[in-house]
Amino acid sequence: MNVLFFAALVGYFAASVFQFAGAAMKKEKPRIAARVLLLVSFGLHAAYMTWRGIAAGRVPLANQFEFASGFAWATAALGFVLYGRIRQEWVMTAAMPAAFLVLSYAAFQPREIKDILPALRSTWFVLHIGSAAFSYAAFAIAGGLGVSYLIQLKKGKNEADVRMKQMDYLGYRLVCLGFLLLTVVIFSGAIWAEQAWSSWWSWDPKETWALITWIFYAIYLHQRLRLKWQGKRMAWLAIIAVILVVFTFAGVNLLLPGLHSYAR
Amino acid sequence: MKKTLRFIRSMKCGMILLVLVMLLSLAGSLIPQQEASMRYVRAYGAQTAQFLIAVGATDIFHTWYFYALEILLCLNLVLCSIVRFPRTLKANGEWTDRARRAEGEHPLTGEKREKLCGFLTVRHYRLEQAADGAVYSKNAAGFYGSFLTHLSILLVLLFGSLVLMTPDIQDLTVLPGSALTLADGTTVTCDQFHITDETGRLDYASVLTVRSADGQREKQQEIRVNQPLRFGEYKIYQQTYGTAGRVRITNHTNGAEEVMFLTDPCFLSIDGRNGVYYQALYPGFLRDAEGNYTLITSTSVSYQDPVYAIQTVSDGMTTSVLAFPEDELRLGDISFTFLSPTEYPGLRIKHVSSWLFGGLYFSFGLMVAALYLCFFAAPVYVRVREDSYTILSPKNQQGLILDLRALIGEKETDP
Repeated sequence: MNVLFFAALVGYFAASVFQFAGAAMKKEKPRIAARVLLLVSFGLHAAYMTWRGIAAGRVPLANQFEFASGFAWATAALGFVLYGRIRQEWVMTAAMPAAFLVLSYAAFQPREIKDILPALRSTWFVLHIGSAAFSYAAFAIAGGLGVSYLIQLKKGKNEADVRMKQMDYLGYRLVCLGFLLLTVVIFSGAIWAEQAWSSWWSWDPKETWALITWIFYAIYLHQRLRLKWQGKRMAWLAIIAVILVVFTFAGVNLLLPGLHSYAR
Repeated sequence: MKKTLRFIRSMKCGMILLVLVMLLSLAGSLIPQQEASMRYVRAYGAQTAQFLIAVGATDIFHTWYFYALEILLCLNLVLCSIVRFPRTLKANGEWTDRARRAEGEHPLTGEKREKLCGFLTVRHYRLEQAADGAVYSKNAAGFYGSFLTHLSILLVLLFGSLVLMTPDIQDLTVLPGSALTLADGTTVTCDQFHITDETGRLDYASVLTVRSADGQREKQQEIRVNQPLRFGEYKIYQQTYGTAGRVRITNHTNGAEEVMFLTDPCFLSIDGRNGVYYQALYPGFLRDAEGNYTLITSTSVSYQDPVYAIQTVSDGMTTSVLAFPEDELRLGDISFTFLSPTEYPGLRIKHVSSWLFGGLYFSFGLMVAALYLCFFAAPVYVRVREDSYTILSPKNQQGLILDLRALIGEKETDP
């Protein structure tokens, strides 16, 4: 069944290439091909996750590979939902490479299906990890939009341009969604930690980095809502924030041992 | 004083405090916390280690300056909430007034007006008749989003700190079949403990019976990781487990027999001079061709071939011996029969007020709801006049603007 996973990975890559080609050449055909490819890859990816879930007898989000796979799937899903709502190509240009990069990271992780540790057998498992996947997905697309925004700016687009404003606004809305979900992640994790480890907060590296990420996004939102920062500055903040998200997601597991070490 | 208070309640101060908390958290996650001093010396060298210890970087989350930051953040939240509250209360009324007075920005004809009003009704907008038309409004609760978010952060900090600081925590081990008595007389009996379930899957579970001091209340429950037992203000967690040796001691003079658990080194004797000194229990052993034993010392493996390391003491003579389950040693009238080891649970018993937990969980829920109100329930007013309409909101309503334009076929321009 690994073939489904790798087919999805190749599909995401091809979709990203077509999407970029379409954007660069300003032609519709490669973009259509990209969307079709993404849809097929997304279906294959979903099929793989479903198979894995059935084989493991649980929701497939229990280790670094499964979480990365879920994160990539959530990124593609969110990309589709946003594209369906606003019908703007630049949404896909940001979402596709993000999904591909995250799934590439998953490809380097051990894939064997293992029984989960007793500490992970909790009713909070799905809410905590599922909301983390969607929260990170929202942040990843927001970061991707930040990169797109800066590229467009470099290409000579004006910040007052409608498309640029929409890109900036959507990035902000995604951060709002991600921030709300990250709050759910932290709180559901706190309640779960209290049940499993008897303390709702232990300054474990994963908790600490989730808090750091949360504070950074809180600062982002204050700058946006109170100081009315927009455009280039927000794009940079969204990109820096994604680096924090990536560290919280992967760096902590690799470099900072702690209570979440079973997530490796 | 006024100036200081104004600064403390300002957003600038809030942001500075958040950045400082973030930086200290960053340092706290990168520098190992609460380790022995020697580890810092080995990792960073004597001078750096001394500096880190002196500034509290080795236990950063319990330093006075970290607590001071938290207190200042609470103060900032209290003050900004106090300042914001009257404004929040008035906001709905002010915006409704503003909507009533608003002139139409976008032209509207009769048919489109019908369409627009129908659309707003379907979307559950509240209708209020006004001069020359109506005011449609939605999400008035959204005005409270920001205020409630800040209030809930304050509550999380307060309840969270109290929950972390007030409980009385004890880590205790209890052997299967035996009981613990807590300070107030409550007893905790471990009826059973197993580390795998019936399918062989790891599952650390203890069946406990807890009885109040007066014997009036009793509760039996199987606890495992993620499923603690709550009994009044006690919460009992399945925390760890250990493996204990067992020995049956028989006194052949009177026929008395007793099974004892061996968790720590001890001397088993009746007269205090002759007996068995229990040293350790090992999970297994390797035996070479010459019959020499090498003991497996790792305790992370299962106890498949357990070995007891003991010393027999008889008339001042000490002899080191390895004993295996079912081995019997006889010293005078006493015999020691070593039995298969058994697992026992390590329990964490926490005594904490339930209303503090209630407060903390309420704050969590409040914050999630408040953030939803803040970001996804922005108040919006649509002033519909006979020949025009306008949208008013304290937040960007690009989505609604585009929806309405699409609905009434207005040409799209820069929103």
